[in-house]
Amino acid sequence: MNLTYLRLELRRLARDRVTIFFTVGLPGFLYLIFGAQPDYADDAVRDGNVAMWIMIAMAGYGAMTATTGIGGTAAIERMQGWSRQLGLTPMRDHEYVLVKAATAVVIAALPIGVVYALGAATGAQAPVEVWILSAIALILGASIFALYGLSFGLAFRSEAAVSAAGGSLVILSFLGNIFIPLTGWQLAVAKFTPLYGYVSLARHALTGGATVDPATGDLIDLPLWQTVANVTVWTIVLAGAATWLVQRGRSRQ
Amino acid sequence: MTYEPCIQLRGITKVFGAGPTAKRAVDGLDLDIGSGEIVALLGPNGAGKTTTLDMVLGFTTATAGTITVLGQNPTDAVRAGRVSAVLQTGGLLRDLRVVETVELIASTYRAAPSVEEVLARAGITELAGSKVQDCSGGEQQRLRFALALLADPDLLILDEPTAGMDVQARQDFWAAMRTEANRGRTIVFATHYLQEAEDFAERTVLIANGRSVADGPTAEIRRQAAGRRLTARFEADAVDAVVRNLRQRSDTGRIEQHEDRVSVESANSDDIARLLLGELSGYDLEIEPASLERAFIQLTSDDHELTGSPS
Repeated sequence: MNLTYLRLELRRLARDRVTIFFTVGLPGFLYLIFGAQPDYADDAVRDGNVAMWIMIAMAGYGAMTATTGIGGTAAIERMQGWSRQLGLTPMRDHEYVLVKAATAVVIAALPIGVVYALGAATGAQAPVEVWILSAIALILGASIFALYGLSFGLAFRSEAAVSAAGGSLVILSFLGNIFIPLTGWQLAVAKFTPLYGYVSLARHALTGGATVDPATGDLIDLPLWQTVANVTVWTIVLAGAATWLVQRGRSRQ
Repeated sequence: MTYEPCIQLRGITKVFGAGPTAKRAVDGLDLDIGSGEIVALLGPNGAGKTTTLDMVLGFTTATAGTITVLGQNPTDAVRAGRVSAVLQTGGLLRDLRVVETVELIASTYRAAPSVEEVLARAGITELAGSKVQDCSGGEQQRLRFALALLADPDLLILDEPTAGMDVQARQDFWAAMRTEANRGRTIVFATHYLQEAEDFAERTVLIANGRSVADGPTAEIRRQAAGRRLTARFEADAVDAVVRNLRQRSDTGRIEQHEDRVSVESANSDDIARLLLGELSGYDLEIEPASLERAFIQLTSDDHELTGSPS
């Protein structure tokens, strides 16, 4: 692992105030508004509460935004000729991917750490293992969205496209049963959207694989196999898309 | 000088695309460059210079032909740190500082010269703290040069290295490059500035339409390609016949007539001079070397077959 490169990547990100705001500030703010304050915050979700349920969603949203940005920037860098500059050095492609992956883990850990700290301070409750398991699932799962950002960047070849990819996560979060609990046909559709599996999996330790109908308070079962299938299929789709786009880019050179 | 091959290209062809729209960027190029040589690849945009250099650097693979760089394949030579390059455009992260960029690339080498030394050799010590995006085109080009020095390469490849530089920056750049050449590095550069080839390269390879159309010592290329421009005066009623006579010959280039003065370009200037003064009864003969600029146009234009080209 090239630690100098990792350090410089992190320094670049630290200088980018706008990105820091959207990956750390915004999820923290959203959690405080929608998770910490309202009167439903203390409602029980098995051994935890609703604040915890929302906290995991917001931390996941921040982590995804961060890794989507990392993937997207990598695509832009490639197109601007940075991969040619690196191609003149002994550094191999897989070492570059390793540096970017490590950067993504660090930058994804940031919103998770901040939002979890806010959660702990403002009444999110769950057994200790739920905190740990959900955080691990969020960090590992966030790496999938580096592929999402990478594919967007490679396909549309502009920084605006990468911003759009980050922005699209808000919509996909609503569609994916993440910000507000869905029911009926909306929930049925949600199971096919790319963010559903990631956040549902992170919440599994809390919810035991169920969601609540906010109107009636009834529990709706979310089978674990559907969650796992969603994550698996979307990982394959995004990895396939990124690989195909990288090859297309290479043959054009 | 003993001839150690540094770059060997044999029948290199590169075709982009397929079918009727396929573009033949490089078309059966043969080239040998020895260690320690300073060679200019001179040609207009689209001649195939960048594509050729990309293949030497292992960025692109040839459709046909073989490439050997320092006795190995291009990718291995680059990974061994024996080859480096100053790329034409892009290749920098705009939000990094100059010194950070050098640190980053230095970290990819097992042993690299110190960052301070490289900044000094490229003449950008005072820019160290600036962000890349705040540097001028010429300054960014010097940064790319600094990055190339980190490899401590045997072979340095420069693709249009002074594009975007003003006159002063260009002179400074070539002065720095001369220092590197004196360290025994092989330097190959692509340019369409004729003056740069004349000033800096011992040898020039003229490239047009993906082929080498002339190759030799830069001074020789200039003489051979352009030949000379001969101007003489004639009796007014003989001028048309003179022009007709000259046009019929295979060893004459561009012919111009202004009143009783006729000028003609030829690589075969001695014979043409005898013809003008003897058989054609001309007088006031002037002979001047044609500029490399003119040579270039003559050699690289599609409709002109060069006499005496080695390819």
